[in-house]
Amino acid sequence: MSMNEFLSTYGALIVGMVLAAILALSLYLPLMAGQLSLASPGFYALGGYIAAVLSTKVLLQNGQAISPFPVHLLLFEMLLAGIIAGLLAVLVGVLALRLRGIYLALATIAFVEILRVLSLNLDITGGAIGIFSIPQPFTNAIQYLLIAAPLLLLSAAFVYRLERVRAGRALLAIREDELAADTMGINPTFYKVAAFTLGAALASMVGALSAHFLNTWNARQGTFDASIAYLAFVLVGGSRTFLGPIAGGMLLTALPEFLRAVAGIGGLPGWLSQFLREGRLIIDGLLIVLVTIYFPQGLITPDLFKRRRKAAEKKES
Amino acid sequence: MSDSTPFLKVNSVTRRFGGVVAVDNVSFELQRGELFGLIGPNGAGKTTLFNIITGLTAPTAGQINFRGQDITRFPPHRIATLGIARTFQNIRLWSNLSALQNVMIARHTHTRVGVVSGVLGLPGAAAEERKTRERALEILELLGLVDRLDERSRNLSYGDQRRLEIARALALEPQLLLLDEPAAGMNPNEKQTLSDFIRQLREQFDLTILIIEHHVPLVMGLCNRVAVLDFGELIALGDPFQVQNDPAVIEAYLGDETALDKTKPRTRVRK
Repeated sequence: MSMNEFLSTYGALIVGMVLAAILALSLYLPLMAGQLSLASPGFYALGGYIAAVLSTKVLLQNGQAISPFPVHLLLFEMLLAGIIAGLLAVLVGVLALRLRGIYLALATIAFVEILRVLSLNLDITGGAIGIFSIPQPFTNAIQYLLIAAPLLLLSAAFVYRLERVRAGRALLAIREDELAADTMGINPTFYKVAAFTLGAALASMVGALSAHFLNTWNARQGTFDASIAYLAFVLVGGSRTFLGPIAGGMLLTALPEFLRAVAGIGGLPGWLSQFLREGRLIIDGLLIVLVTIYFPQGLITPDLFKRRRKAAEKKES
Repeated sequence: MSDSTPFLKVNSVTRRFGGVVAVDNVSFELQRGELFGLIGPNGAGKTTLFNIITGLTAPTAGQINFRGQDITRFPPHRIATLGIARTFQNIRLWSNLSALQNVMIARHTHTRVGVVSGVLGLPGAAAEERKTRERALEILELLGLVDRLDERSRNLSYGDQRRLEIARALALEPQLLLLDEPAAGMNPNEKQTLSDFIRQLREQFDLTILIIEHHVPLVMGLCNRVAVLDFGELIALGDPFQVQNDPAVIEAYLGDETALDKTKPRTRVRK
């Protein structure tokens, strides 16, 4: 297979993996402060609608969508989507973050549902049909990496640095023991809302990019299923280092394609290849159960790196 | 602050949990620089009183004044910012973080770098980070923990964890330090060392210290004044010698210790 062939076959998958990794990071940010929020799909959907509405109804040329869509306008949409989602997140966060643990998770699922039902019933979001023919800034899928890859690198670098400075350590302290953090002068509400807001802005930016990438946007984009899928990214990848969600997002996005390829190998019994092709949800669920039992902290943990470093030091001495 | 304003004033504080009165109309004042002991049998309301002073529990009635300011309804982080730090009876370190991180985080109120300049590592932020680290190392050195600084705090020995809690509280640079049973689980030798250390801390950091302790000899040797709680009530207050010979205190303590069946709950003697 030539490089070009490879990219045209797997371009969309690679971009999808990168976007999934960023979405997983959007869940990881509130988790740094111990807050299990499943609101990301809601903000993702919101960002997508912002980009879809702007590019098909507002930013027109001679009454028509601009094609090819200018990249600087795409970046502008992403910025705007991030800001609007951030503002909404402050409101939602102040209310929802009074809740803890599973109750917060449930409240954020309810938030995602509210946005979904709204988008199904509003005219501006195109109701049940949604918005289609969203203009493309690029001619083929892989070119979306030009935006997706830097966004992943920037957000990963951001989280990596955050864990090593004052604000990030405050989040970790809240995760470890909120009450102790409070008595040591850290305002838990402020930091929890801030982390939630950053995660929301990130998810919304991915949504804005995805709306162009997928060409259509509708109420199926931000659903309960997506909440669980993103949660799986973090559970499988690991929630104690930012590399966990990135790996989880990429792995679980690539897995169905990989299984489809395996199913194509000749000589497999019919039922097995059908299961590999179509049993995606079952396999996802199975994976979550198995990882939770055998790797309760996820596949990638901070100790993994510590152990390797220690082993390397031993070798040297 | 004039000299007549008490450093800390606990004014008619009451806390009820349903039908239980954990703290019952307790009042006392602390002067600046005092080493004040709070003693009493199990369940006397000592820790509840600590929680009220630090804002973790709201009092049902009464006020707390710190240096002339009413702090009764302040959230804990605001009280910490004003200069009150504490340790916990049941150690509450950030257990998955290193000893160094635990102490650095407690520098929160004395640092100000925001998310953006911190993440970008701008010169001001880098300098502050360096200073925070140096200060944390000094404090760990003082507590004899400097060789364990990269260890996760939950992997430290029990005694080291207790010392790390004190280190964390000191990193806040408090004016008032609340120690909740700092000597719990230590042998007599360690208790003596700790007692000397607490006295040294008060000198070195110009602290006022309020200490909860079960071990009566330690409190008697260390504190200049002692308050005794029993069933939430303040039953004695004064210098250690006075308190030790107070009939009400003897009854509260001896009634506890001479009971043959220790599992039997004590019944309250109504006066």
